Amino acid sequence: MASSSAVSKRGDAGGVLAAISRSSVAAHGREAAAVAGKLLRSTGKAAWIAGTTFLVLVVPLIIEMDREQQMVDLDLQQQALLGSPPTLAK
Amino acid sequence: MGSAASAASDAAPPPPSPAQPHGAAPPYGHGLAGILPPKSDGDDKKEEKVDYLNLPCPVPYEEIQREALMSLKPELFEGLRFDFTKMLTQKFALSHSVLMGSLEVPSQSADVIKVPTSQYEFGANFLDPKLMLIGRLMTDGRLNARVKCDLTENLALKINAQLTSEPHYSQGMFNFDYKGTDYRAQFQIGNNAFYGANYIQSVTPNLSMGTEIFWLGQQRKSGIGFNSRYNTDKMVGTLQVASTGIVALSYVQKVSEKVSLATDFMYNHMSRDVTSSVGYDYILRQCRLRGKIDSNGVVAAYLEERLNMGVNFLLSAEIDHPKKNYKFGFGMTVGE
Repeated sequence: MASSSAVSKRGDAGGVLAAISRSSVAAHGREAAAVAGKLLRSTGKAAWIAGTTFLVLVVPLIIEMDREQQMVDLDLQQQALLGSPPTLAK
Repeated sequence: MGSAASAASDAAPPPPSPAQPHGAAPPYGHGLAGILPPKSDGDDKKEEKVDYLNLPCPVPYEEIQREALMSLKPELFEGLRFDFTKMLTQKFALSHSVLMGSLEVPSQSADVIKVPTSQYEFGANFLDPKLMLIGRLMTDGRLNARVKCDLTENLALKINAQLTSEPHYSQGMFNFDYKGTDYRAQFQIGNNAFYGANYIQSVTPNLSMGTEIFWLGQQRKSGIGFNSRYNTDKMVGTLQVASTGIVALSYVQKVSEKVSLATDFMYNHMSRDVTSSVGYDYILRQCRLRGKIDSNGVVAAYLEERLNMGVNFLLSAEIDHPKKNYKFGFGMTVGE
C-alpha cells in the first residue's frame, strides 16, 4: 500500500485520495451506501414490528394450543386405561 | 380436571356418562363443562316453513354487537391488577380491587405521557334473580351504582348512576326495558335532559332489525339510528347506521366451539375516520385467549389463564406501533 509514502508525502497522496473521492465512481458508491443504509434501517424497523406483533399475537396462541393438546392426550390416555385399577389413573 | 374426568368415567365405565348429553368427544365433554357456560341444547332445528307469529326474542338493542365486542374489545389494562371477590351469603358478595399502573395524560404533542397511579376499589353486590344491586366506590371519590329490578314479568327497570366529587360530572340514567315475545323496547331518561328510546323486532328467525332515537336536551342535539343483526349458530353479522355519521359493521364467525374469529369496520362520516380490526377468540379448557390487530397499527392480546378453581391469572398486552405506546399488564382474579 502507498500508506507509508502517503505519510511522508502527505500533500501528494492526499491529492490522489481526493481525486478518487471526487470521482463519479465514489459518488455512486456513496449514493449506494446511503440507499443501502436506508433500506437496512427500514427492513430492521419492519422486522421489529413483525417480530413484536408475532410475539404478542401468535406465541401465546402456540403455547396455549400445545398445552391444550397435551391435556387432550392425557385424557385420551386415561380413557385408554379405563379398565385398569384406579390407582393408575392420576 | 383430569381427576374429575377419571372419577366420572370410573363411576360408569360401560355406558357413556350422563354428564355428556350431546355426543361430544369424551375428552372434551368433562373439561369444557367447567370453563364454558352450559350450552343450550334445546335449539331444535326446524327446517320447515317459518312460523312468523312465533319468532324468537331478539337480543337487547345495546347488546347487538356483543359477540364482536367480546372478541375485539377485551378489558386491556396496564400494570398490576388484583381482584378479590368474597361471597358472604348466597346472594351478597363484597369485592376488593387494586390497580397499580400508569395513566395516560392527554397531550397535544405526539409522544405519550404517562403518570403512575394506583387505585383501590371497594364493591358490594347483591344478586338476586329479581333484583340486582351493584355498588363500587373508588379511592378518588367516585361512586358507581347499578340497579336492575324486574318490575313485572316483562318490564325491567335499570338504573345507572355515577357520582363524582367534581361538580357537573355526575351522571344518572334510568332505563325501562320491555321484553315482548318477538321484540324488545327500551326507554331511557338521563340527566342533562337526555331522552332515548329504541325498539328491536325479529323479522325472520335469524334476522332482527331495530331503530333508536335520542334527544340531548342540554346540547339541543338529536339523532336516529338503524340497526340490524343476522345470526345463525355459526355466525353473527351486524350493521349499524346512525345519523351522527357512524356506519359500523361487524362479523363473527364461530369456527368451532372453541374458536371464533371476529372482524369489524367503522366509518365516521364527520371525522372521515375509518378503522377496521380483526381478532380471534380461543376458549380452551384452562384459558381464554383473545387477540386482535387493527388498521391503526395496534396489536393487542388478552390471556385469562385458570390456575385453580376461582383463581385466574391475567396477562394483557397492547402495542401501538405508530405511537410507540406499549402497555403490558398482569393480574389475578380470586373468587368468582
